[in-house]
Parts: sequence; structure tokens; C-alpha cells
Amino acid sequence: MKNPVEIKNLYKSYPRRGLHLLSKPEDKTVLHNVTMQVAEREIVGLVGESGCGKTTLAKVLLGLESYQAGSVKVNGLELKDLSKAGFKKLRRQVQVVFQDPYSSLDPRQTVRQILCEPWDIHNMHLDPAEREKLLCALLRSVGLDPLYLDRWPHEFSGGQRQRIAIARALALEPQLLVADEPVSALDVSVQAQILNLLKDISRTRALSMLFISHDFAVARFLCDRIAVMYRGQILESAPTEQLLLNPQHPYTEALLSAVPMPDPHMQKVRQPIPLKYQPKRTQSPCPYAPRCQYYQAAQCGRSAAETEISAGHFCACVRLPFQKEKSSYAIQ
Amino acid sequence: MALWRKTADNKTARRAGIDGRAQIAIILNMNASEDTVLQVEDLRVCFRHGQNRTEVLRGLSYRLQKGKVLAVVGESGCGKTVHALSLLKLLPPGGKITGGRILYQGKDILSLSAEELRKLRGAGLSMIFQDPMTSLNPIRTIGKQITETIEAHTSYSNLRARAQAVRLLKKVGISNARKRLEEYPFQFSGGQRQRIMIAMALCLQPNVLIADEPTTALDVTIQAQILKLIRDLQRQSGMAAVFITHNLAIVADIADEVLVLYGGYCVEQATVHALFSKPLHPYTQGLLGSLVSLNKKVEHLPAIEGYPPAPGMPEKGCPFAPRCPYAGEKCHSCLPPLIEQEQHKVRCWLVEKNEKSR
Repeated sequence: MKNPVEIKNLYKSYPRRGLHLLSKPEDKTVLHNVTMQVAEREIVGLVGESGCGKTTLAKVLLGLESYQAGSVKVNGLELKDLSKAGFKKLRRQVQVVFQDPYSSLDPRQTVRQILCEPWDIHNMHLDPAEREKLLCALLRSVGLDPLYLDRWPHEFSGGQRQRIAIARALALEPQLLVADEPVSALDVSVQAQILNLLKDISRTRALSMLFISHDFAVARFLCDRIAVMYRGQILESAPTEQLLLNPQHPYTEALLSAVPMPDPHMQKVRQPIPLKYQPKRTQSPCPYAPRCQYYQAAQCGRSAAETEISAGHFCACVRLPFQKEKSSYAIQ
Repeated sequence: MALWRKTADNKTARRAGIDGRAQIAIILNMNASEDTVLQVEDLRVCFRHGQNRTEVLRGLSYRLQKGKVLAVVGESGCGKTVHALSLLKLLPPGGKITGGRILYQGKDILSLSAEELRKLRGAGLSMIFQDPMTSLNPIRTIGKQITETIEAHTSYSNLRARAQAVRLLKKVGISNARKRLEEYPFQFSGGQRQRIMIAMALCLQPNVLIADEPTTALDVTIQAQILKLIRDLQRQSGMAAVFITHNLAIVADIADEVLVLYGGYCVEQATVHALFSKPLHPYTQGLLGSLVSLNKKVEHLPAIEGYPPAPGMPEKGCPFAPRCPYAGEKCHSCLPPLIEQEQHKVRCWLVEKNEKSR
């Protein structure tokens, strides 16, 4: 069986115009040699700071952005080679939930119209009775009352809207769900509800999911595997527990150290690794070198290959063979 | 306040720079009878839409000591931001403070004239606004916007104000600060804009910082940096802060005292250690329970059912009763009073009878 998502050596860049009006546009690389897979029924978390390329990767996967080199296969189909009709067929299997539930639902459509639109677009002619039954089942599966079908988005709270957005994504029974920060705009108490919902539906519907987040805590709850991204490159990826218990890359360690713990006693002892950007180090092939807390000019001058430390745990850092001790920021 | 301003005008103090001024301010504060810098008593705020009046804050009281951080926790629509805006008398049209007092160093803010308020804002009480995208003026350079504040409140020359601005931008982690003063807000990312807002709020070393979700739009790494900056300032200059957030992990990090708001009411108020180790109100317990945490692996999050109430719902009884797993008949009909036990205040009928544990 093929993996739902298979990305190999993906490069993507945007043209960027220089300061001078007549200067030639330069290419700014936003995704650099990205390789990752999402296996069947697997939830993969993509974690990184804003601007690191998480959303761009999701857009490439959804066919909303093109790419320059490498291969992106969704359900075994290379996205670059797909015709328009082929894409439309593929889109039935790949659906998306966006970050902001206030702007991702059309304010002029009722919930019924929002949920029926995917069926209409994909020419699924259901008879009215069956359609009604499916709609009710769909709303119930995301924890909403079927009575809400004829209401408008503005009548709902943020959490309810996100449930509607999830229901819309599930309407076509996709195999792959791309969730771009689906809970970061929600209230704390509602965030827990939506996370539980995402976990439940991924189990009951045998979904694969690419879950984009900047929050390690959320990723730990939901994801089977986490990939850490920095400046368009994946620096470390491992099964969730493995990554948190034994972070290998300095960047993963720095990110973990900065996550606040909801425990005042613990917070008193934890010191985040300070963030210092040293522009002099940009010559190094490692993208994280200018911020690295372990930078050593002698070592970091050469590029690090991605090595498999243990089963499924990949990391790209030149320090790897030297690092024996466990990070003090690992999660107990 | 008046005395503080006098010393600021004093030549020697001017030579000593802002740090010196802050120290003088501390000495003056210490001589004051109490350490309380900000005291809010039974604050009530109403909003008017045509004929309708909705009460969004229904009696909020607290005291803020010098060098302490009070965290105000709550979900959207609970009145957090309205509370912050009313501290500076900046409520939007339609909003009105209908009751209570706000005392800053013993003086009632609500009775101050517009001129006195203008002097107070920025220098005494300063605020970091929530939305970094709309809070900066898009057609002026950020250098102008930061130095404007400094020049309006001190007799600094432009050169000196700019030096101060550069120092601040460096402190909030914006590299190449001197050059970037000439840039416009659109040239900065959201996180950087938020940090500029923070630099602006801190540029006069205020006695009280009001921070309305200051780190919500930021990455964890930058968030950690900003929290450290605020903590350092607190230690150095005795700045007090009202920190408004929905993130309990940040509360654990920075707060000394916590106030939990729900539906415009204060439902629980305690020291940070007491609140995290023994939350009394079912809402606080639910919030802490439903928190995704990095250091615990759970299969299912015990979420609070239902959704936060819309502001100003006409209510009888406890605002949390519709979502409360323990709610009884009394909870739906009568509003519980704020009961105080050993510095731990809670608004719940069930607390008296038996203490529930999480």
C-alpha cells in the first residue's frame, strides 16, 4: 500500500524583487530539500516558528502552490503531472481545515450550503432524503446538533465554526486531512474539545493527517510523529515520544526549552535557551547555525547529512556523533 | 505623581537618565504609605447598543502591589480586554464605567481631567495592546512613533529619545535597531510589530504595565524572551503588571497572583501557587484539566462541555452553571457571593459545603 503523502527532496522558491526597480528578481528559497512521508492512519505534526514554511508545504500538498524541484506524491500521484481533471479527482481525497474559523466560512452561506457545496462540486447527485440523512450524520459526528443546518456562520462561536469547517472537510470522506493550526485561534476550553474531536475522527475514519502547529504541547497530544522545521528545512523528525524524550537537534532543544509549563514550581527552575542571532555565521551550510547554542566554527562549516539515529528518528546536525549526553530540556 | 514629575524635571535627575528616574520613583513609592500601586474597587462597565444595555464587567476588585504581576485569565467575551481599557479610560464609544473606583497610587483615575490622564498614560500606566497589526500608525516610521511617546512626556532631545528607542528595540530582540527606526510598520513581521508595541509601552519605564495578550501572536521562543524582559524590568525597577491572557502556562511562568474571570464576574482569585495546586472553582479546575501540557501524555482531554457565554447574557445565578458538572438548583437561581478563605477568593456555592479536589 502506498503512503498517502510521499515528499522527496522538495524545493520551492519565490521570486523576490531587489530594492532597485530594475534589478532582476532573485529567488528566495522557502522549502529546501524537504523529505517526509505521512503513512496511512498516521498523524504527522509539523512544528516550527512562524515563517519557516509550514503553511507553504501544506499549500504545495493541496496543489495551491507549485514547486520547482523534487517530487510530491499524494496517493501515489505526482502532483506536477496531474491534469486539471486529475486534480479535481484527487481533491476529493485531500481536504483542509484552516486556522481561522472566522474567515474560512462564507458568511453568505448557511451551514447546509457550506456542507453541500463539496458534494455539488464533485457531482455527487444524492437524492434529497439521503442527503438530509448524511448531513445530519455529518453534523452529529462533529458534535453539533442537526437543528443548526439552516443557520448562518455568524450565529456560531469560534469553536462551533471550527466544527463546521471540520464537517465540511469530512463531507467527501477524504483519506488525508491537512489541518493548518486548527486550534490556535480558539479559547482554551474549546481547544480541548476540538483536539479531542480531531483525534476521534482520525481514529474512526481511518484518516491520515498533516497537522501544522507551533505548539509542541498540542502536537504531543495529537500526533504520532513530529517533524521540526526551520527556514524551510526539516531538521529533525521522530515518533512523538522519541522526539520529546530525546531531542537531538539544538533547535528542537531550544524550542522545547521555550514552551512554558503550566506549573509555577517547574517554571521557576526552567530557563529558556536565549535566542541570539549572529549574522556572521550565515556562511555555514546549516540553516540554524546563526542561532545555534552549540556552534563551533570548526565543525559547523560542513553540511550535515540527515542521519537515522534510531528507528524513525532522523536528525541533521554535525554534532550528532559527538553528542552523547541527554538534553536537560528533554521531557520527563 | 506630581512629585515624580518634578524630580523628572530636575537637572540632576535628567543627567542620571531614565534609570535614575526610575530609581527615584522607587524611593518615592517606598516612602508612600503602602506598596499598592493600583487598586480597583467594584469596577462595573456597561455597553449600550441603542436601547439595550449590557453589563460586561460586574464588580471587579483587586489590589496590585509594586513589583508584582497580576494575571487576569479568561476566555473571549469574559471582559478581560474591557477591564484593561477601562484602567486607562480608553473604552470605545458606547462603553461606560458605571460604578466602582480605580485608584492609581491613591488617586482616583476616574476623576482625573483629560490633561492629567494624558500625563498618566504611558508614563505611569502603560499598555500593550492586543492587535499588533492595527495598533501602529502605518504611515509613520516606527522611530517617530517610539520617540513621540518619549518626547511628549520628558524634555529629552530628539537625539536622546532616539538613543533610548534604539536601546529598547535591542532589548526586545530587534536586530539592526538603529537602521530599522527609519522603517515603516509594514516592513516588520507580526511578531516584530508586537515587540515594537512592547518597546513603546516600556519606553518610559511605567510603574504599571497593562499587557493585553502581549504574546498571543508570537512564537514560543520570542514569547519566552519577552516574558524574561518583563520579569527583568520588574526586578530592576519595581514595575507592576496586569497581565491579561488565556494561556495558563504563561500565568504559571510570570504571575504572582491570578484572577479568573468568567462572564464578567471574578470567579476565583488566589496566589499562583494556590491556584495551580488547589483550584476551587469548577471552571478553574476545568481549565487546568483541559490544558494540553507538554509534560503529560493523555489519551483524551477532559474538556469543559459547552461554549463560553456571550457577553451580557441576562443571567440569574452563577454564570458558569450551564456548563458546570456540579451545578445544582441553587446555582441556577442565585449568584454565589465571593467567599474568601485564607487569601483565596472563590465565587461558588459548592465551596462552603465540601472542598472538591481536582
